[in-house]
Amino acid sequence: MAAPMDSVGKPSADRSAFNSTSFQKKTRSKLISIPGTRPSVQNGQLLVSTGVTSLDYLIGGGLAVGTVLLIEEDRYDSYSRMIFKYFLAEGVVCRHELFVAAAQDNPDDILQELPAPILDDVAIHKPVDQPRLSCEPQDSLDAMKIAWRYQNLPKVQSALASTSRFGHYYDVSKTMEPEIRQAAKCHRFYLPEHPTQSSTTHSPMIESYSALLKSLQEVIHREGFDIAASMPKSRNILRVGLHSLGSALWGDDLSCHDNPRHSHALTTFLYGLRALLRSSLAVAVVTVPSHLIQDRALMGSITRLCDNAIALESFKGSERETNPLYKDYHGLLHVHQVPHLNCLASQLPDHKDLAFKLKRKQFTIERLHLPPDLSETVSRVSRGELAGATTVASACGSGTSGTKHLDF
Amino acid sequence: MLSELLQGTDTGGLLIIQDSSSCTGRHLLKSFINAALNREENIHVLGFEVSEEELGEGLNTSSPQRLCFHNAYSDPLGWTDHLTFTVHQFCLDELTHLVKQTSQSKPATLVIDSLSWILRHLSPPAVCKTLQQLKRGGAVRTIIGLLHADMHQKGTVGSVCHLATSVINVAPGMKGDEAVAKITKRSKSGKVMQCEEIFSIKDDLTVIVQSKPSHLEHKQTDPEEQQMDPTANLTFNLRLSDTERKAKEKLALPFVFSKAKKTALLHSGQGSGRILYEPDANDDYDQEDPDDDLDV
Repeated sequence: MAAPMDSVGKPSADRSAFNSTSFQKKTRSKLISIPGTRPSVQNGQLLVSTGVTSLDYLIGGGLAVGTVLLIEEDRYDSYSRMIFKYFLAEGVVCRHELFVAAAQDNPDDILQELPAPILDDVAIHKPVDQPRLSCEPQDSLDAMKIAWRYQNLPKVQSALASTSRFGHYYDVSKTMEPEIRQAAKCHRFYLPEHPTQSSTTHSPMIESYSALLKSLQEVIHREGFDIAASMPKSRNILRVGLHSLGSALWGDDLSCHDNPRHSHALTTFLYGLRALLRSSLAVAVVTVPSHLIQDRALMGSITRLCDNAIALESFKGSERETNPLYKDYHGLLHVHQVPHLNCLASQLPDHKDLAFKLKRKQFTIERLHLPPDLSETVSRVSRGELAGATTVASACGSGTSGTKHLDF
Repeated sequence: MLSELLQGTDTGGLLIIQDSSSCTGRHLLKSFINAALNREENIHVLGFEVSEEELGEGLNTSSPQRLCFHNAYSDPLGWTDHLTFTVHQFCLDELTHLVKQTSQSKPATLVIDSLSWILRHLSPPAVCKTLQQLKRGGAVRTIIGLLHADMHQKGTVGSVCHLATSVINVAPGMKGDEAVAKITKRSKSGKVMQCEEIFSIKDDLTVIVQSKPSHLEHKQTDPEEQQMDPTANLTFNLRLSDTERKAKEKLALPFVFSKAKKTALLHSGQGSGRILYEPDANDDYDQEDPDDDLDV
């Protein structure tokens, strides 16, 4: 036991009666507290909600400030646009600033279509199905007569949810009221309104991306989102939404040709974007029409250059629309990358088969699990349909429809 | 849905007819032109692939000033100095000027025959940009373009169709004069509708839409055949009468334990096993220790 030291001026509340040392744990210096953010429970990073609570759960609690989320668009850009709007709406509700860039639609039109937040209810989703507790043995013993040993095993939980709620819910059928929307500060970048100057330097980036990066850098510097900036006023987060980068309307032929001439334009831009974001209090969501990009190696490097990457695959128009397995959902969601931020291992989602459904008040992402098949011939057929093996002649010969009654 | 598209009620859209070498879409394009002429609209045609005479065959020529054909067939690249429409004039300013020159009263419909020709000579991003600007500007009411899908890379076709509000994919049908149209339509609210129809075009360029293709019906009959009841038509009895059912429920199952044992087995989480012994009818379970009367 060390000798007690009288330290004048130190708050005595920290010292208990038995603690006789003057050792005090150093508190975290300058924990920035910004509305709408919270520190991650895993590594202490400051997290921001994406607007979709199930997506927050998948990418480790939320989007870390200073990172980029890549969304690979579905075929008709319906659901990726919805997530884009959720992200911006969350920014308006949390009173962050927005930066929206688009080449196809005017950012004002996108901002007018933001969904209305549901502000009165605290918890919308049904409580997660708890496994049966041991305090109710009577009911549980009567439930199963033969398989009673399986009673206390938890049921399959398909909904993804974490215990603490972070983020808001939105009603898709209504648009956000103009008063709420105008309270948030929005910076816009609409490509047709920016005159393209031909650059004299031979950079691999094309003019539209250079203009976008310059505009973003200027906004970050002017509004004081740099981490190094010594502004005394309260800090805020800048939410950057870049719609449909890599499409032909940005002047990039990445999605038009198999061997694009500007093959490094988008990758250089993403590299510059990530460098810019790492030194500022900003988060970015980028959507890319990956179904048009034929070069898979290039798509792979685009994925690697972003911190988080998810891909949406909607069932509309594909043969999966009529598959009874997928009848409750609107599409599949693939997580291609989770970030490694100051750590060696990252938090991968434990289930890889995920499906999403856009409901009026919630965008749910659930684990896709096969229900028990009770009929004899269905199981073999549906497995074949899932793997797309109808055109592949397998050794068992179960590819053609005529032999599906063979069950070994 | 093909008939609704032919009526042309939606404005401000881009309609693309995708065809291939096995089935041409030009007849459908001419049907669209004819339908617009019957509705007394002004039409501007950029003709790159066929000459004016060939395109005008069968069209309703009652009011020839409504159909304005810009000849890009004879000299598309402008090699001679004749005043024809060249491919380099495919940009917003020139097209707006061209359209406004001839029809001032109401916005015209622009028909492009074909987009493939333009895509071979201009870069796809530039073509997409022009189409998007035309869509947004007020000079043109709708744009109808013909695209040969097998002439371009998949990415190019995909990029151009990504901009379109409606895409009609024409494929050969089962019979000679029939064709199958796969239609994808995007509404302003973002909803996507898809449909597949068989159609044929008569000599006066009217489109007759028939029912949906028959291969979809085959798939529906197959699962119905499988759901035959296997317990029907048996020579032995599989059903239970009431007394039999009651006797079945009363039967003691071999591994049925008492409630205490069940709860103990279910909730034993302490790790070590416990031996729970329930004496059978044949066991002689005497609680007393037989060694008690030993006087040692």
